[in-house]
This record gives sequence, structure tokens and C-alpha cells, in this order.
Amino acid sequence: MTDAIRSELLKLRTTRTFLGVVIATLALVALIAGAQAAADSFDAGSTPGVDLLDVAGLAQPFALVLGLLAVSTEFRHGTITPTLLATPDRARLMIAKLSAHLTAGLVLGVVAYALAAILMWIVLPLRDISTGLSVGDGVEQVVGGVVCIALLAAIGVGVGAVIRNQVGAVIGGLAWYFMIEPLLTAIPKVGGWIEDYGIGGAIAAVSDTQFEGRAEIGQVAGGLLLLGYAALFAVAGAILLRRRDISA
Amino acid sequence: MAATAPAIEVQGLSKRFGATLAVDDLSFSVEAGRIVGFLGPNGAGKTTTLRALLGLIRPTAGSATIEGVPYVELDDPTGTVGAVLDGGMFHPGRSGRNHLRVLALAAGVADARVDELLELVSLSDSAKRRAGGYSLGMRQRLGLAAALLGDPRVLVLDEPANGLDPQGIRWLRDFLRSLAAEGRAILVSSHVLSEVAQTVDEVVVIHRGRSIEQAPIAELLAGRGGGVRVAGPDVSQLAELLRADGAEVSDGHDGAIVVAGRSGEQVGALIAANGIHISELASAGQTLEEVFFELTSDEQPAADDEEQAA
Repeated sequence: MTDAIRSELLKLRTTRTFLGVVIATLALVALIAGAQAAADSFDAGSTPGVDLLDVAGLAQPFALVLGLLAVSTEFRHGTITPTLLATPDRARLMIAKLSAHLTAGLVLGVVAYALAAILMWIVLPLRDISTGLSVGDGVEQVVGGVVCIALLAAIGVGVGAVIRNQVGAVIGGLAWYFMIEPLLTAIPKVGGWIEDYGIGGAIAAVSDTQFEGRAEIGQVAGGLLLLGYAALFAVAGAILLRRRDISA
Repeated sequence: MAATAPAIEVQGLSKRFGATLAVDDLSFSVEAGRIVGFLGPNGAGKTTTLRALLGLIRPTAGSATIEGVPYVELDDPTGTVGAVLDGGMFHPGRSGRNHLRVLALAAGVADARVDELLELVSLSDSAKRRAGGYSLGMRQRLGLAAALLGDPRVLVLDEPANGLDPQGIRWLRDFLRSLAAEGRAILVSSHVLSEVAQTVDEVVVIHRGRSIEQAPIAELLAGRGGGVRVAGPDVSQLAELLRADGAEVSDGHDGAIVVAGRSGEQVGALIAANGIHISELASAGQTLEEVFFELTSDEQPAADDEEQAA
């Protein structure tokens, strides 16, 4: 099992994709958190530290894409064939991919929050602005945010195994994240439930702890719900992968 | 290694894709140390069969085993079977060396083996370049290196000569010969008979998913068509000897005889053993290409005759 996981981690390190995702995330976080730290007037009611750390949450869709590519790219380039020849047990392959991408998601989350925190610590004191954030709240926000990013990568792995077509998986996954689920919350009756317990609701519960009224459930419950979604898609992806004939 | 189970055994294998029966009740086997050509026109079901053998496609019926075990249940798949399947099967942005390292890691093979194989397939100089820029021949060699990672006892190659130039095909032929000489079983598919005719010991010919023939190449030729033509002063004596041996001998023109059911080698041995004086010994009538064409053509006159007779 560890061999299969190490192989998946080496795959991530030997193309430009993972590095590209990390660089793109950091560039975006630097741009937005940097601009906000330097120029935002920060309303009286806001907490500057919370707002700045929250920018690192921009890593979420990047982590999702990273996961979506895990299986779909293997089908796109036909590498699924040599991969399965080396690791014929497809459930084992899914577990290896989930483990590797959870790790990659953690790395991405840590560097994104680290960059946001560094900008916060450097720029705010220059403007004599207090972060307004206690250590406890900060830790809660960062840990939740990082776990959320890692779990989004895991969700992506499962969804990518279900959809399998690379372009379809990425577009479908991002459309769900940015558009479809937010639109569904507008449906009468069901919408409220989706808002609270959908993937978006779970994400809010885990990462938006410092924003009053964003989530219906607690942080730990939200984390477990998000883990449940990741497991659901992973199992669906593994079942489909096992049934599939690999003919190219 | 189980002493009784053949290196590769396909039994009653069938695979249906929707309305198409790609492989239809196919059976054949490959013994250790043998190179078997898996021949048939494009679309005959070769790739489907090889992928079923490697656990990539689930058979509708029947079984395909390696040393008696289905691929997915092998303890050490990479160390038992190596496979080169159609196409490059690598990520264009990953270097050839890293491609092999990824597979080696999953199979528990050391990086030293990766460099050794890159040297063996003459890719050391390009090993750190991104594989997307490789030529077709380099891709095939990279695929071959991947197949050999675990030093497997069985090799499965799907159209390995595709896209290779004549030197490449020659290199491949010598390479496969040396691998078989080490006792490995090799199953190599092709739709072009001449690519493998000089390499293989035996052929399995399939058409429309069914096995038509499994035989050593010499036997395949001897058993069909014109057989062996012999001319010379003592051919009548030879004809008697051959008839006594049960061979079918017919008189050709110019006083020559045509022997069916015997290979040129067998006839030659008989000539040498009896000190018979001849002037000519040649395979008459069909070449291997013609036999292959006859076996795999759809409208076989012989089959039509049989239908009418029935």
C-alpha cells in the first residue's frame, strides 16, 4: 500500500501540474491579501486578521481541480493502463490516490494560509492596524481552512473517477462549486437544506468559523460531513473504476 | 512457479461490447521459452484478448490466466508479467525516467533498475527529457523498458513493431529472441505477418474473435496449400518413401513431385538419410502471407463449397 501511495506522490511531483497549482494559488492569495492588507479601510465591525486569513480559502477550488485531475488525467493520457498493470487492485489504487491528494491538499492549504498570515503580520503593523484576532480563533480558522482544502482535493479525486473525462470533470466540478450548488440553494424548501448541509454548507462550517451566521452546523460536524461527501464520491468512483473496462 | 500451468492460458474467452462479440470462445496457450505470434487483421479481437489477459477488461465468459492465476490475483504482477500495449501510455509532461520511476515505485523496484533499463533500450541520453517530445520508436522502447521493470517471466506485447523503422524491427526481433532464450514466454500480436514471421516459434491466428489456428510456423505452411516441391533424377524413389511414410504426394509438371503434409526440413532430412539425388527443393504454392490471407479472408471459397455441399 505504501508503495502505491509513494508512486502517486511521485506522480504529483514529476509533472508541472501540482507546482503550477501551488504557484497560481500563491499568486492569487498574494495579490488579493496583499492589496487588502495594504489598502482596505476595514470597517469598524470587521476583524482585519480574519478577513486576511480568509483569502487563503481561494485555494479551495485549486485543490478541487488537483483532485479532479488525479484519475481523469490517467484516462486522458492512457497512463491508467501502466498504472493498473503495476497496481491491479483498483480499490487500492483509489485509496493511494486519495492519500496522495489529501497530502497534496494539506501542503497547498498550509502554504496558502502561511502566505496570508505572513502578509497579515507584515503589512497590518505598518498601518498600525490590529489583527483583532486571538490565537485560539486564529488556530481554529487556519486548521479548519487547511483541512477543508485537503478534503476538497479528496472530493475531487472521487468525482474525477466518476466522470473520468478530464475536461468534463474539471468543468463539472468547478461549475458545481461556483454556480450549481449556490443556485440550488435558491429552490424553495429544499434550498435551505442544501445551503446548510450541502458541500458548500459543510465548507462554510469548517472554514468560516469566524464569520457569524455563515454556517448552520459546528466546525467538527461540518468536517465530518465534508469527510462523508469525500467518502461517498470515493466509493462511487472506486465502484465505477472496478467495473470499467480499460480499453485505451 | 507452478510446473503444470502454462505461462499463458486463455480458455473459452469471450468478450461482448454491446452488440459486438469482440472475442468469441477463444482458447490458446503459451509455454515458457516460446515466442508465440498472435495474428489477425485489425479488429480481430487481439487487443481485447490481451487486455483481458492483463485484468484490464472483464471477460464476458471464460478465463485468461498467467501461470494459472488471473492477473489481478498475482502476488507480484510486475515481476511476473511485463506488457507493452498499444500507444505510448505516458504523460507527455513527465520525463521518460520519471515515468519509469513512478511505475518502479508502485511495483517495489529500485531506481537502479530504471537506469539499467534505460541503458538497455538506448534511452539514457533522452531519459530526462519530457516524454511528449519522444519519437514513436523512443516511445515503443520506453514502453518496453516499463514492461521489463520487474524482470518478468512472461511478456505480452501488442503490436510492438507499429511505427518502428526496419532497423527498429530488426532490433526488436533480436531483443525478443534474446529474452526468449532466457526462458521467458512471449506473446506478441501483429496484423502484419512479415513483422513477426522470423521472430516467432508458433502462431495463433484469430479472426472475428475466434481462433483459427495454433501451430508452429513450419507446420502451418506444411499443412496447407502446395506443400514442398521436389525435382531431380531420383524423385520417384523419394515419392515411394514419402508415401510409405503416409505423406500425400502428387506429380507436378516437369517430372517434379509435390509433397503435402511435410515441411521442407522433413523432406530434406529424408533425402539426406537415403542419399537421394535431387536438383531442386522448394516450398510450392502458398507463402506464409498467402496462408494468413486465406485464413483470415471473409469469403473463403472452400467454406462456401462446404456450405453448398451440406
